[in-house]
Amino acid sequence: MAGRRVLITGVGSQVGSLLAQRLERDPDVEHIAGLDTRAPKLALGRTQFIEADIRDPEIARLIPGTGADTLVHEQIVRQPGAGMSPRAMHDVNVIGTLQLLAACERVPTLRTIIVRGSAGIYGAEPHAPQFFKEEMTRLFPLRTRFQRDVAEIETYFETYARRHTGVTCTMLRYQPAIGPGLRTQITRYLARPLCPTYMGFDPRIQLVDIEDALEALVAAVRNPVRGAVNVAGPGTIGVARMIRVAGRRALPIASPLFGAVTSSGQRFGLDTQSEDFQRLLRYGRGVDIRRLVEEVGYAPKHSTARAVENWVQHAEVAA
Amino acid sequence: MNSATAVAFMRRLRAGLDSGLDLPEALTRGATALPRDARETLHRVVERLGGDYSEDEWGFDEEFAELVEPFFAFLYESWWRVQVEGAERVPAHGAALLTANHAGILPWDATMISMALLREHPLPRHPRFLVLNWAFDLPWISTAMRKVGGVVASPFNAIRLVEQDHLVAVFPEGVKGTGKPYSQRYRLQRFGRGGFVEIALRTGAPIVPVAVVGSEEIYPKLADLPFVARLIGAPYFPVTPTFPLLGPLGVVPLPSRWRIEFLDPIETVSYGPEGADDRPLVLELSERVRGEIQQALYANLVKRGPAFI
Repeated sequence: MAGRRVLITGVGSQVGSLLAQRLERDPDVEHIAGLDTRAPKLALGRTQFIEADIRDPEIARLIPGTGADTLVHEQIVRQPGAGMSPRAMHDVNVIGTLQLLAACERVPTLRTIIVRGSAGIYGAEPHAPQFFKEEMTRLFPLRTRFQRDVAEIETYFETYARRHTGVTCTMLRYQPAIGPGLRTQITRYLARPLCPTYMGFDPRIQLVDIEDALEALVAAVRNPVRGAVNVAGPGTIGVARMIRVAGRRALPIASPLFGAVTSSGQRFGLDTQSEDFQRLLRYGRGVDIRRLVEEVGYAPKHSTARAVENWVQHAEVAA
Repeated sequence: MNSATAVAFMRRLRAGLDSGLDLPEALTRGATALPRDARETLHRVVERLGGDYSEDEWGFDEEFAELVEPFFAFLYESWWRVQVEGAERVPAHGAALLTANHAGILPWDATMISMALLREHPLPRHPRFLVLNWAFDLPWISTAMRKVGGVVASPFNAIRLVEQDHLVAVFPEGVKGTGKPYSQRYRLQRFGRGGFVEIALRTGAPIVPVAVVGSEEIYPKLADLPFVARLIGAPYFPVTPTFPLLGPLGVVPLPSRWRIEFLDPIETVSYGPEGADDRPLVLELSERVRGEIQQALYANLVKRGPAFI
C-alpha cells in the first residue's frame, strides 16, 4: 500500500479536489498528480497540477511522466448543466475516456484504474426491481443520451480490463451526490422555491452524501476490486418528502405536460431538468450497495434522508 | 366534532392566514379550537407536511398505512364482511411467502390479506406484497401502493424482502388471474414457472398457501376490449356490469362476502438452497401449493354460501 502514486482526472471539480486534498494527508500516497482544464477548486499542497484536456491525444505524452500506479478517472459529466450541450457532454465523457484509456496503454506502472461512473446506466423504470444489483444493467433499454454515454464508457472500460489482466479496473456507479458546496442537478432542483413534480407520482430516490462519495473513492483506491460497484447512501427518500424536508413546495404537473411546462420555464431563466432527471422524478431508482460494503469495505455513513437533511442545514446556514 | 368547534376552527384558521402566517402555522393556531384528539391528528398532519415522517427503503410508510386503515377496515368489516380462518398458522417471526389466488384489477385481495393478519394474528405485522408491474405506471395508485407495502413484482424484490425477514404476499397467477373472465372464477390459472418456489427454496422461507374467496366476484369481467387495452398500454381492458358504463364509479368493487383461509405452512429448509435449481422439485412444489389452494377455495366457497347476501 505504501508509496502509491495517484493520478486524478477532473481535479478541478469539487469531488476531484476534495479527493486530492484527502490523499495529500495520506502518508501511504507518495505522489499525486491532478489533470484538468480548470484549476482545482480548493487550494492544494503537494499535488502536481497538469493543465490538459483529456480529449486531447497530447495526454498520451503527459501521463506516463507521472509514473502513476493508480488512476482515478473523475472527469465524467454526470449532469449536464444549462451551459453544456449534449454533444459537449458526449465529447468529454466518451471521447475523453477513450483517449484516456488509450494513453493508459503507455503507462507500464499502472496497476489500478478507478472510474467514477454513474448509476444512471440503470435508468429509472416503473417496472424495475427496487434495488439494482451490479449485474442488472441490461434489464431495460438505454433510453437517454446520457445513459448511452455511460454504457459506452463502461464498454470501453470493460474491454480495457479484459485486455489488461494485470490492471484492476473498478467502475464505481454513483447515485446523484448531494452535499454542502456541491452544485448538481439535485441541489439546483431543491434550491428552487417551487419544485416541479409529476402529479400523482412520488417515487423513492437514492442519493449519496458528498462525504461518503469521497470516502468510497478513497476506499476503492485502497482496496480496488474488479468490475462494477454501486455507491449510494443506505435507504431511500420519497421525492415529496425530500421537497418538504428542504422546506420547498411541490408544483405537481400532469405527466403529459411536464416536459412542456418545465422547458417553457427555461425561457424565464429557470433551470430545466435533463431527461434522466425527469425520469428519476417520475420513477425513481434504488441500488443495492452490498458489494461496496462487503468487498470494497466501505459502509456509507449517511443515509439518503440524512444526506438531504445535512444539505438543508448547510444551505440554511449559508443563507 | 360539532359545528360550533368547526366554525371556531375555521375562524381561527382564517384569522391566522389573514395575519400572514403560512398554512402549517395557521393550521396549528386554528387547532387550539379543536378537541384534544382532533388537535393531535391535525398536529401530526402538519408535521407530515414538513416532511417529518419516515419511510423505509422500500417506501413503506407505516403511519400512512395506519392513517388509511379506517378505510380498509370499513371494506373489511362492512363492505366485504371478511371471515378469517387459520391466521395463527402464519409464522409470527421471520420470513414467509404468503401465496394466494389473485383476482380483481386492483390488488384489493392483498390489502384484505394484510387486514386479516393485522386483525386476527396474535403478533400482527404488515405484510409486503408484490404488485403487478403495471400499477407503477399509474399516478396516485403507484404512490399509494408503495406507501402501504406494495413493490414491483420482481424476484429480486421478493428475495431481498425475504432476506429482511418480511412476510411477502405473492400471487403466482399474476395477470392471468386478474384478467380471467367471470365464468372462470376460482379456477386457478397456471402458476407461472414456479418462481415463488425458487425464492422460497433459495432463502429457506416457508410457503403459506392462502385461499381468498370473494375477491373473484368484486369485478365480474364479462368481456375484454384488447384494442382499448393496447391503446392505453394496459394488459387488458375489462368490461364489468359497472365499468366502463358508470365511468370512475365502475371502479367501486361489488360487495361480495369474503372468506380468507391461511393453510398450514410448507417448509422448504430441508431441501436446501440447491433445490432452487432442481426443476422437477420446483414444479412439483408449485403444483402442490396450487392444488392445496384450489381445494381450499372449493371448500370455502361451500362454507361461504351465496356470494352477495
